[in-house]
Amino acid sequence: MQEPFDPAKVDADLEVARPVRTGFLPITTNWFDRVFVGIYLFVALELFWMRFLEQSIPLMVCHVLAIALGVLIVWRG
Amino acid sequence: MRPNTVGWLMLAPTIAILGIFGIIPFIYVLYVSFHQWNPFGASPDMIYNGANNFRRLVFDTEFLTSIAFTMKFAFFAVLSEIALGYLLAQLFMKEFPGRGFFRTIHTLPLIVAPIVVGSVWRLMTTPSIGIIPYLLKSWFGYDLNIGRDATAAFALTVIMDIWHWTPLVTLTLLAALLALPKEPFEQAQIDGANRRQIFWHVTLPMIRPAILATVFIRLMDALRTVDEVWMLTSGGPGAATRFVGLHIWKIVFPKTDYGYGAAISVIVLYLTLVMCWLLYVALVARRERKRTF
Repeated sequence: MQEPFDPAKVDADLEVARPVRTGFLPITTNWFDRVFVGIYLFVALELFWMRFLEQSIPLMVCHVLAIALGVLIVWRG
Repeated sequence: MRPNTVGWLMLAPTIAILGIFGIIPFIYVLYVSFHQWNPFGASPDMIYNGANNFRRLVFDTEFLTSIAFTMKFAFFAVLSEIALGYLLAQLFMKEFPGRGFFRTIHTLPLIVAPIVVGSVWRLMTTPSIGIIPYLLKSWFGYDLNIGRDATAAFALTVIMDIWHWTPLVTLTLLAALLALPKEPFEQAQIDGANRRQIFWHVTLPMIRPAILATVFIRLMDALRTVDEVWMLTSGGPGAATRFVGLHIWKIVFPKTDYGYGAAISVIVLYLTLVMCWLLYVALVARRERKRTF
């Protein structure tokens, strides 16, 4: 006998069929996770720079690098 | 997409409370952390000083030492609480006379305020009047003096935290163990698994979410411990138990350096989030090379 139509089941099937893209981060992420990781690394890089590199290289370089890294993680991570 | 007005309305009180008591104060602390602000000093105005507070903290050896002590404290306390809490939960799963009484009485430390716990432990460990130094001296000949011995002082802060918070872990894990279905255990026994194999391959994976939630709660609490330790050791001897919460307290209240205190608070929040996220990734997030949108 044919099963009755169940819209929730169709939604679940579509959920499974959603395309999955590969990023370089070793975990499953959504965009919010990648923004979060980007901010973590931004702060870590800034603190590291202030502690060890700021005497020789200005902090502006770190800003540029950290923002570039954040964009890369959100875009390709 | 379906509109979910009722859902948002039901969430609204929670979001409002979170916003008023969580998000707005956080944004304000973040704002203060970029300023030099001593409201009780000669110039009480807030002066913008860029990242100078953060620049100062990465060179502040007292702060870095307090972070190291806090990490050590959190590691020993949380690990011991989880292990002991699990053992107690397993014990309370078994039938024995007075189980209900012991289940109730073991949660009593949870209802004691941290400041009172610190006071009581201070009384119990004061060399001249405390029962612990007295018993240690008469039984083992060990002279306990947390005002002099940095290692003993640190160990006692860990033991005090374990005494106070293990019941919380026990209750959480007990609830998780009681909610487990019997079938997987019966199947494992039929397949000939021994107790150790059942623990590693059945029990532990099934209660992992509860363990993780408990570790997160306890880790966050341990990283911001202030009052208990303040009452017990006041951060001493020297700086042996000056955990980061105490360090912030000393900067914000006696020194009234609100800007620098806010900067340290932001970094402590950052470290807490990083540690919890790393734990989550290590224990929960599957290492699948895929992403979802």
